[in-house]
Amino acid sequence: MIAAEWAAKRRVTVEVLRYRPEQDADPSLQAYDIPYTEGMSVLQALQHIKDHIDGTLSFRWSCRMAICGSCGMMIGGKPQLACQTILRAGEDRPLRIEPLKHFAIERDLVVTMSGFISKLESIFPFIIPKTSRATTEGEYLQTPAQLARFENFSDCINCMLCYAACPQFGENPDFLGPGVFALLQRYNGDSRDGGRERRMELVHSEDGAWSCTAVGYCSDVCPKHVDPANAVNQNKTNSAVDFFFRFLPRRRSPEREA
Amino acid sequence: MRPPYLRAIDPHWWAKPPYLAYTLREATGIAIVAYALVLLIGVICLALGENAYEGWLGFLASRWSLALHAMILIAMVFHVWTWFAIMPKTMPRLIIGGYYVEPRLITAAGIMVAALTSLLLLLIALMISQ
Amino acid sequence: MKVMVVDIAIVGAGGAGLRAAIAAAEADPALNIVLVSKVYPMRSHTVAAEGGSAGVTQRHDSLEHHFNDTVTGGEWLCDQDVVDYFVAHCTEEMVRLEHWGCPWSRLADGHVNVRAFGGMKIERTWFAADKTGFHILHTLFQTSIKYPAITRLDEHFCTALVVDDGRCYGVVAIDISSGEFTFVAAKAVVIATGGAGRVFLQNTNGGIVTGDGMAMVYRHGVALRDMEFVQYHPTCMPGSGLLFTEACRGEGGILTNKDGYRYLQDYGLGPPDPWPRNKAMELGPRDRLSQAFWHEERKGRTIATRNGAAVNLDLRHLGAKKLRERLPQICELAESFLGIDPAERPVPVRPAVHYTMGGILVNRETASTLTGLYAVGECSSIGIHGANRLGSNSLAELGVFGKVAGEAAARCARSLPPGPMATLKKQADDVRRRAVDLIRNEAGGERLAVLRDAMAQSMETGCGIYRLDAQMKQTCHTLAELKNRYRRLRLDDTSRAWNTEWLAAIELGYQLDVAQAMAHSAFARKESRGAHSRLDGFEQRDDANFLKHTLAVYRADGPPAISYMPVNITRSAPGKRAYGAEGEHLEGYRKEQTQGTNP
Repeated sequence: MIAAEWAAKRRVTVEVLRYRPEQDADPSLQAYDIPYTEGMSVLQALQHIKDHIDGTLSFRWSCRMAICGSCGMMIGGKPQLACQTILRAGEDRPLRIEPLKHFAIERDLVVTMSGFISKLESIFPFIIPKTSRATTEGEYLQTPAQLARFENFSDCINCMLCYAACPQFGENPDFLGPGVFALLQRYNGDSRDGGRERRMELVHSEDGAWSCTAVGYCSDVCPKHVDPANAVNQNKTNSAVDFFFRFLPRRRSPEREA
Repeated sequence: MRPPYLRAIDPHWWAKPPYLAYTLREATGIAIVAYALVLLIGVICLALGENAYEGWLGFLASRWSLALHAMILIAMVFHVWTWFAIMPKTMPRLIIGGYYVEPRLITAAGIMVAALTSLLLLLIALMISQ
Repeated sequence: MKVMVVDIAIVGAGGAGLRAAIAAAEADPALNIVLVSKVYPMRSHTVAAEGGSAGVTQRHDSLEHHFNDTVTGGEWLCDQDVVDYFVAHCTEEMVRLEHWGCPWSRLADGHVNVRAFGGMKIERTWFAADKTGFHILHTLFQTSIKYPAITRLDEHFCTALVVDDGRCYGVVAIDISSGEFTFVAAKAVVIATGGAGRVFLQNTNGGIVTGDGMAMVYRHGVALRDMEFVQYHPTCMPGSGLLFTEACRGEGGILTNKDGYRYLQDYGLGPPDPWPRNKAMELGPRDRLSQAFWHEERKGRTIATRNGAAVNLDLRHLGAKKLRERLPQICELAESFLGIDPAERPVPVRPAVHYTMGGILVNRETASTLTGLYAVGECSSIGIHGANRLGSNSLAELGVFGKVAGEAAARCARSLPPGPMATLKKQADDVRRRAVDLIRNEAGGERLAVLRDAMAQSMETGCGIYRLDAQMKQTCHTLAELKNRYRRLRLDDTSRAWNTEWLAAIELGYQLDVAQAMAHSAFARKESRGAHSRLDGFEQRDDANFLKHTLAVYRADGPPAISYMPVNITRSAPGKRAYGAEGEHLEGYRKEQTQGTNP
């Protein structure tokens, strides 16, 4: 937005947790007083700070429309996307903006994502086809009902708000976590995929489904209605069933018949 | 340059919103254990003979016991409610006849079954006691 | 600085970059392929594309139809041999994406569904709800994980190419988390860095769409082609510019002005027949619809909103059920950002910059004029979009030419020898020095945001939907002045780790160069064609003088040198671009001409 447009009469104060690795020993809160226009987002507030007040404030952002997943942060103590969180004026306390909980801070509002990325890469997050098909044979058939079985899990934008919400991830950083489970279930639930067996190892482990205690807050904060709690908890049942049937001779799973 | 900064987690996260509701839900397990103990003591008293058993029945009718049972009942109701609230999360999406069954419908169905079963058991218990 | 020696370096991990990486890995799994991206791949702007991706599937459709729609839509500035190759390979790429798991929306029988889209006379747009780009990007990213040949340098910001004696030998990138430099020495380099819409004020683009690759390549003497052709998407959120997909209109949405009148009929796109009709008004091409808005605004028939003039995108008649099913993201956007339920109220929309038709000059194999350098996707100008891109052709382009680029890079990497390391390392050191020089905090310097906003405002005024001689000239002048002021840039942030102000400063440098190429190309094209429309005596298309591509070549001290190159016309001669009823009539006339009286 053009500086001249910020001729608004109202102002608002926000507090941002700052941390500059080259100079700070610990993070500290910094208050900023900014012009307020109705309907402005927290992202726009941060951009204003960076553009006109303090260029040293670092944060991730891109699409501005809650689809790229870059701008996840703690806003007023809740994990939210800055681009779609509307700023309110006239509150008695300044809005506090902090980096996502349960992640190490690299700088200001930027957290370390490498752990999440490694976990995502570890779950065979791609179609392991049940049956082979050449592109000349056209598409695999998949009915709308079959698509509906996994579609919501495929909507995950990797924003990691669910990891900030999950207290068990806070306690155990090796827990695969809600987002990665959503992706795992996205593939296990896809009628074209035959890779369930390969993924079950990860589900069974201590850092798999069994780290979850069904708090459910992850699904509450998810901005895309992915319902990661469902992805994890469904797999507790799957894991238990697999455990009890492990002594039976390898049975042909119903999916393989399809 | 310093490595990324790790913030300590709040050791009392479970006692504050938004996690307090979850903690209370889990705590209802204590009520279940408590009630199981009451019944266990009753079985042991039964084995020990008529005097012990009469003593246990007497305790059950006392004010302390009624208060305890009232608390256990409240905890049990909350337990059932939250149990069915979380149940849809443990199953894959339910699609019946092409329609997606909303989780709250599954919860409502479960609670209704629990309520009806409890009512039935209560009626049977009342009939037996006549 | 750190040196990484690889076979192929791909800059940009959006749809095009990922597809190229996969293609190279499949062509030769022994190759060492590095994907360098300034953001994690799933943040790339491909993610925001909504409507769909084209590929002929229906029996009554044909490659010839897709070809004609594309060439007509591009107002005959397309290289027709490339368009032929493109349309012939779209469907195969869409099927391949499906095999890789892309959750295309389906018909009841399980086949992929297709929908109507702007400028396409027969439905051929494959779609995944209204988040097609999101699903394509995630499918490609997740599939790329399968290939051990592909390594990624995530959050590494490229500042320059390393070029010696007419050949590109790699890139110099900053590791954002530390501010340290890496020289990625490669035998083949593929640029897939996307468009440059952020040089304009109101745009649908994410913050990262700053023309990085275009500028890096341009600075080494490679021409940027057809830069004056910048697409305005007609239905965007006023103020933020966020996109409301063309699919809204594909599903039946209509555009009305402040009097509730479907105004497009006044601009040769009508008549306003009832739905569904593929040749209907609201599905006209984007340049024509954006121009119609501009005229409505002049006439005072638009609605005044807090964020400027707008018209209404009316989706109410679709009903809540269809809206949630076919356009769920649109409903969420309208609700979270505007507080509007599209089933209840119309959504205010206006044109905003969306796509850069022009880009790095490449041939049919995606090869540029520098040996070992390829470019693919929105950053390139391969010749399929011409003067105006049809919706759903750009997502298809990522697949079709991503594959071509990856395979070409693989062949190049296998056949070319490595470069003269000592010379290249010295050049890389120079690159580093110049980049670090930008981190200055001297008093009295210019503020980054001020320069950036001035550039964006000037581009909006001078190179907007309609262009005028005096305004374009002014913009050219302003950009030259801004480039001067840029030399006195002053940063608040003098650190190295996660210094995003520094990176934004480098991006501004890229943007100013790209903006100059756009403005000068626009000024020089004295005709109206596609997205480049003038109101200063050059309102008509001039095939005699301007049926050619514009080339902008970088000059260190001054504006770009503008020259021209021919368009490859094979069988579709320039004709009239007619849509709606006029289009149908014209089609009937054309059919008669070609078929004669014999059935």
